[in-house]
Amino acid sequence: MDLHAVTQAAAEMPHVTGYMYPNEAELHWSILIVIYPYLTGLVAGAFILASLERVFNVRVLQPVYRLSLLTALSFLLIAPLPLLAHLGKPERSYEMFLTPHSESAMAMFGFVYAWYLMVVLLLEIWFDYRRNFIEWSKTKKAALTRLMYKVLSLGTTDVSEKALKFDDKVGRIITIIGIPSAFLLHGYVGFIFGSVKANPWWSSVLMPIVFLFSAIVSGIAMVLLIYMVTSMFRVKEISMPCLNRLAELLFYALIVDFSLELLDFIQRLYESEESIHILSDMISSRLFISLIVTQIMLGTLLPIFSIAMARFGRFPDEMKRVTYLFAALLVQLGIFSTRWNVVIGGQLFSKSLRGLTTYKLDVFGLEGILVSGVLLITPFIILAVLSRILPPWMESGHRAST
Amino acid sequence: MTIKASSVPQQVIPLAIIFAAGITGLLVIRHFLVPDTFGEHGHYRADAVDEIAALPVSYAGYQACVDCHDDIFTAKQSSFHKGLSCETCHGPAGQHVEDQDKFKPAKPHGREFCILCHGYNVSRPSGFPQILPNMHNPGKACVGCHDPHKPTTPRPPGDCSACHAGIANQKAVSHHTDLQCNTCHEVPKDHITQPRLSRAEKPTSRDICGKCHGKDATGGIEEAPRIDMASHGGRYMCWDCHYPHDPEATK
Ligand code: HEC
Ligand code: HEC
Ligand code: HEC
Ligand code: HEC
Ligand code: HEC
Ligand code: HEC
Ligand code: HEC
Ligand code: HEC
Repeated sequence: MDLHAVTQAAAEMPHVTGYMYPNEAELHWSILIVIYPYLTGLVAGAFILASLERVFNVRVLQPVYRLSLLTALSFLLIAPLPLLAHLGKPERSYEMFLTPHSESAMAMFGFVYAWYLMVVLLLEIWFDYRRNFIEWSKTKKAALTRLMYKVLSLGTTDVSEKALKFDDKVGRIITIIGIPSAFLLHGYVGFIFGSVKANPWWSSVLMPIVFLFSAIVSGIAMVLLIYMVTSMFRVKEISMPCLNRLAELLFYALIVDFSLELLDFIQRLYESEESIHILSDMISSRLFISLIVTQIMLGTLLPIFSIAMARFGRFPDEMKRVTYLFAALLVQLGIFSTRWNVVIGGQLFSKSLRGLTTYKLDVFGLEGILVSGVLLITPFIILAVLSRILPPWMESGHRAST
Repeated sequence: MTIKASSVPQQVIPLAIIFAAGITGLLVIRHFLVPDTFGEHGHYRADAVDEIAALPVSYAGYQACVDCHDDIFTAKQSSFHKGLSCETCHGPAGQHVEDQDKFKPAKPHGREFCILCHGYNVSRPSGFPQILPNMHNPGKACVGCHDPHKPTTPRPPGDCSACHAGIANQKAVSHHTDLQCNTCHEVPKDHITQPRLSRAEKPTSRDICGKCHGKDATGGIEEAPRIDMASHGGRYMCWDCHYPHDPEATK
């Protein structure tokens, strides 16, 4: 066999450079698996933001407290869908709950999810809205609407000072339980990747922590975005102190997140395991756009600088708002790229450390762009519906009395 | 619908009912849906094992074929395919053993079939005969030239790459591209017809590299980079550090 034959064999797989094992040339984890950590990250981030207000009494954040909770809920409802779509056989997924497998992290995660949804989010939202449910079940015009709120109030009627105090206390306890739960929810995703020993791009104890901080970043940015956009549509004044505080938190979270990633990177560089060559090849070729350009430059550094300027510089409010909006959008792009770089990047190089493949994103089909688009848009639709039923707007500050 | 309770806060009651109902529901569903034998041996349904064992057997095993097709068996055992079972190629033939008229096993004539095993793929072990399908007599049926039961080739392969394609390909694009395999390997004549009986040698001494790379070597190729054989690499074999078929000298 001569050189001609070599090029011939290479021509059969034009998307591969260097040497790939045959079972590595095509990626197994597609864009759906990128969306999944992106969504759970938003859930955890939004919830942690809400708990800041609740547990640490950051009063200026009150206007976005309920909004954060509803955001977390909307994204949480969709979060498992990409997994179900990717695995297939969704009709069997409930079996995971019937026969718990304690040695499988993935199987146990079903319980973490259920716990988080049922015990943390729904309960906290219910306790927070209970008073309003009772009120609306009496004051709303349409009989059907009144009935709905009656059902939502679960038949409770007590709005005495004591009962409201109790609601508040329980809400606070749930939030306190909720914070570690949110950490668990998203830390788990990082844990799953971090514990793949054979993959040098994933295997790192820092993974769960890096995931967590990027989750907080994305959650804050998402709530900030939603808050600004909804205020715009509702023609309501945005609370500038709240917005400033959000931007500040986003700024700090970005810095911690970026430092952690940098630490991870430097550690790898210094350790310089045999994988370092192929990983740097990958970064400078296949992942250049999504890692260097969108994740680091556009998604991290630019937002850090623009928020710093807007928040701590002497900008008029109008300018600040535009800058924050712009930064929060970029952060979303950046965090999505982060997820992309982890999930897709981890599959682009060969375990032989000698070759790289390419990910071909489909348009149609279950693992294509269209389905992904639908999955990414649905949470917003859910949020729109939820905010009709459970108006989260708290211009006046709902817990002022308690 | 008002709920009265003296000491327990009112709102706890409906929640407690819902959660209790949920958990009871789960336990009840579990009771009905989890198969009885689940978990007996492990995290699966123990019955499944018996059910699978009770499935009809589709394969008969090669001994069954020998009774009637001993000629083919004898031919096969004399050549390269001796390690393959009849049903690897002909598919499950249990029914055929029971009734030859009713069921005839498939005869895989197509090129695609042989290519499943013999198409070039770097991950196959070195020594496994491989061809590039669109260069090896394209368009013609493999069985026209090779007897599937006795695939000894009409003439011995002309080149080591017939069976060591991966190595040959790698060498072809390496610094050692101009070197012949037998510069370093002593290959008995019969290795290309009976590779497992007549084995090729691998170099055992670093002198073989010294022929070209030694400081004052004269016998080899002039442009080979020179090293001091006495000190370079210490007491290790050269190929502990340089892969001989694709040598690199990374600093
Ligand atoms: C009991 C004797 C017997 C056994 C055992 C037997 N065969 Fe056959 N086989 C025959 C006979 C007889 C024919 C010829 C049938 C015909 O030509 O109509 C045949 C034909 C075949 C054919 C050719 C079918 C065709 O379409 O031309 C194949 C392939 C074959 N056998 C494979 C096997 C394999 C594989 C086994 C072992 C699992 C096996 N046989 C076991 C008797 C047997
Ligand atoms: C490498 C795959 C392969 C193996 C292993 C194999 N066969 Fe075949 N066999 C074939 C192919 C291909 C044909 C069709 C040949 C043709 O059409 O010229 C065939 C044809 C046959 C026939 C039809 C008659 C003939 O000679 O053409 C019989 C009978 C048969 N095989 C039996 C067996 C038995 C018995 C064994 C095991 C001892 C066996 N085969 C092992 C590939 C195989
Ligand atoms: C299930 C895998 C398999 C299939 C299918 C198969 N072979 Fe083979 N073939 C082998 C094995 C194993 C060897 C022996 C290699 C060794 O000795 O290391 C071999 C050896 C050969 C050789 C010997 C080459 C040489 O000179 O060393 C030829 C020719 C050959 N097969 C042709 C065929 C043809 C033609 C077909 C299709 C009818 C076929 N094979 C189907 C596995 C297969
Ligand atoms: C026109 C006749 C012919 C056809 C058709 C043919 N071969 Fe060959 N094959 C040969 C000859 C002759 C050799 C001996 C070595 C050589 O010349 O390459 C050979 C060698 C081989 C070898 C040993 C490795 C090598 O490169 O020498 C394998 C394996 C092989 N053939 C498989 C196949 C398969 C699989 C097919 C069908 C896809 C096929 N052959 C079709 C004639 C043929
Ligand atoms: C017909 C196929 C075939 C051809 C042609 C062939 N080899 Fe091999 N070669 C083998 C097989 C099969 C093995 C593995 C033997 C074993 O592991 O028992 C092997 C093993 C070897 C080994 C390793 C021995 C060891 O101890 O690990 C060397 C070296 C080698 N071959 C060199 C060559 C060279 C050089 C040529 C060309 C002149 C050549 N072979 C041609 C099939 C072939
Ligand atoms: C520069 C000398 C050199 C040349 C030229 C060379 N080999 Fe080798 N080959 C070696 C050495 C040295 C080893 C032993 C490597 C080891 O043990 O790690 C080896 C090992 C092998 C083996 C055993 C499997 C392996 O990868 O270790 C095979 C097979 C083999 N060579 C085939 C070939 C074939 C075929 C060619 C021609 C295409 C060839 N070699 C050319 C030096 C050479
Ligand atoms: C027949 C002569 C010959 C023999 C024997 C030989 N080599 Fe070479 N080798 C060369 C030539 C010629 C070059 C330079 C080719 C070029 O200029 O690209 C070379 C290049 C190299 C290089 C440098 C590659 C680089 O990146 O610059 C290394 C390392 C090497 N050989 C190792 C070995 C080892 C180890 C052996 C013994 C297993 C060996 N060679 C046996 C001729 C030989
Ligand atoms: C302990 C590992 C090791 C061993 C053993 C070793 N080398 Fe090297 N070799 C290297 C490294 C590292 C380099 C590149 C740095 C350098 O030039 O010293 C190199 C470079 C070379 C070069 C290229 C020099 C040049 O000027 O480009 C050749 C040729 C070479 N080695 C041949 C050999 C031969 C022949 C042997 C066996 C006698 C051998 N090596 C044993 C590690 C090793």
